[in-house]
Amino acid sequence: MKKILEVKDLHISFHTFAGEVQAIRGVDFDLYEGETLAIVGESGSGKSVTTKSIMRLLPEGNSEIKSGEILFNGENLATASEKKMQKIRGKDISMIFQDPMTSLNPTMTIGKQIMEPLRKHRNLNKSEATKRAIKLLDLVGIPKPETRLKQYPHQFSGGMRQRVVIAIALACAPKVLIADEPTTALDVTIQGQILDLMKELQKKIETSIIFITHDLGVVANVADRVAVMYGGKIVEVGTVDEIFYNPQHPYTWGLISSMPSLDTQDEELYVIPGTPPDLLHPPKGDAFAPRNEYAMKIDREEQPPMFKVSDTHYAATWLLHPNAPKVEPPLVVQERQAKFHASLKGGK
Amino acid sequence: MAEKLLEVKNLKQYFNIGKPKEVRAVDDISFDIYKGETLGLVGESGCGKSTTGRSLIRLYNATGGEVLYNGVNVHGKKSRSELKTFNQKMQMIFQDPYASLNPRMKVSDIIAEGIDIHGLAKSSKERTEKVHRLLETVGLNREHANRYPHEFSGGQRQRIGIARALAVEPEFIIADEPISALDVSIQAQVVNLLKKLQKERGLTYLFIAHDLSMVKYISDRIGVMYFGKLVELAPAEDLYRNPMHPYTQSLLSAIPLPDPEYERTRTRKTYHPEDHQYAEGEDVKMREISPGHFVLCSEKEFEQYNTNYNHL
Repeated sequence: MKKILEVKDLHISFHTFAGEVQAIRGVDFDLYEGETLAIVGESGSGKSVTTKSIMRLLPEGNSEIKSGEILFNGENLATASEKKMQKIRGKDISMIFQDPMTSLNPTMTIGKQIMEPLRKHRNLNKSEATKRAIKLLDLVGIPKPETRLKQYPHQFSGGMRQRVVIAIALACAPKVLIADEPTTALDVTIQGQILDLMKELQKKIETSIIFITHDLGVVANVADRVAVMYGGKIVEVGTVDEIFYNPQHPYTWGLISSMPSLDTQDEELYVIPGTPPDLLHPPKGDAFAPRNEYAMKIDREEQPPMFKVSDTHYAATWLLHPNAPKVEPPLVVQERQAKFHASLKGGK
Repeated sequence: MAEKLLEVKNLKQYFNIGKPKEVRAVDDISFDIYKGETLGLVGESGCGKSTTGRSLIRLYNATGGEVLYNGVNVHGKKSRSELKTFNQKMQMIFQDPYASLNPRMKVSDIIAEGIDIHGLAKSSKERTEKVHRLLETVGLNREHANRYPHEFSGGQRQRIGIARALAVEPEFIIADEPISALDVSIQAQVVNLLKKLQKERGLTYLFIAHDLSMVKYISDRIGVMYFGKLVELAPAEDLYRNPMHPYTQSLLSAIPLPDPEYERTRTRKTYHPEDHQYAEGEDVKMREISPGHFVLCSEKEFEQYNTNYNHL
């Protein structure tokens, strides 16, 4: 498969009155053509900052890309000029935001907002753009597109607004679509519809998607590969099956154990103890060590490198070092791993 | 069966009455809440679940129907002292911990507001002690008492909201989407806390949410709402095993689970209200399909549901 986007050793800091907040501390990942990569992690882990930096949407003045590369089409977006970025935004890379109530302009008709990228990037004239906009609304499943085009955002429901946002994002058939919690503000039934729609459209226009969410259920539904972020780093990355059935990092274990399944009965839910690291003073060793019951001495001394589990699966935990003691993951995870190994033996 | 704490009879909550924009947010629903249980209320946004919660605690004046708390009607004309007793027994935890705490009040004053109003502390020393004990109950430190809300994270703020609700020693707490605004790992903390407090203090909860796996985990019984109507009410296990109403089925089929294998094979059902094809004047009401399991249906549907139910 062809790589469409490469992020290499990205470091991003915010300069605040309190000092330098190292929000991203060395992130590496690749995005392949036509795949969906989900990025998961708790608030403040750096998922939104990473993706906003790809679009160069971080606030000017107090944010800084310290080092690293974002390679897209052989070009380094980390150092690209604003003029260059304006040509890329909305055309080659576009974004869907979390809250459809605030990401649309309330004073402009839906039609005008959909036509904006078409006229700017594709240089279509008004009637061509209108035709295309009607097609797009139809594509995202909005009935009566001709009349809807002339309406304002407040005349749409939350789910319909998110469809409009998707239509805008897809207007120029981007190569990369970044979806930052696109369904978090929506109801379960609507969420399902939007996820189905995104998958269907992805096939039609062959775009790659970076999907940010903290809902593991949604990840299981949409992702081909998953990257787990913690404290400004990717701590584990693998295919969706590898992450859900054979997780290796204790943080991933914690995430999976803290969600009740429909069979969870009366037992207490697992809680990851402690609080996320203070990135104003990032720890010397593994950022997760203070909350990790499996932490060893080395975890407090040195940051773990990415250990290879399989060709597609890597995790940054010292537990994978050949000299590390064998530990028993939580019961829920053991059950999942047992299933995973059974299916591997079954020749799947 | 346990003692009834709250009886809701034909509750109606309309807005813009008599105007063209009349909204029937809650349209003739009835249910009971038993002492010490957790009743979950689920449904999509706009289905009236929050309005129901707010009408129960008299944040809205009900348009029709009754809410009996320990046999006494919550609504209707009341003297100040009568209202006070109700307010002490019933408390609410709100969805957004950023909006529900006054940013200009210290945490100690936020928590102690109820204590002051109800005169539950005889001296300022007792008041401080109570605040400290409450903070510790919800897993915060006593040092937090002198801080302001903006100094806390979302999960911590929600704990402050819980401490405030507990301050007046209520019997019944309405939790309106208390975890929706929180991270997954923090959600588990808050849910564990609510469960622990229920065990220790014998609290009764009405838990309003749209995260169905969390609702199932915390609730004893669950009510499903659709467009102002209660369409199904059943013990939690039973509802998930034998969802009868087509809307409940569509809702359950939409829950995303952290299991890629299941997600690949799931079939999502959609609900079309017009499929019911109720005839004019047909008696559509809650019917009991098995002990404690009620479904909103017509006579004809009831027979059909009955045969389906026995199959399972």
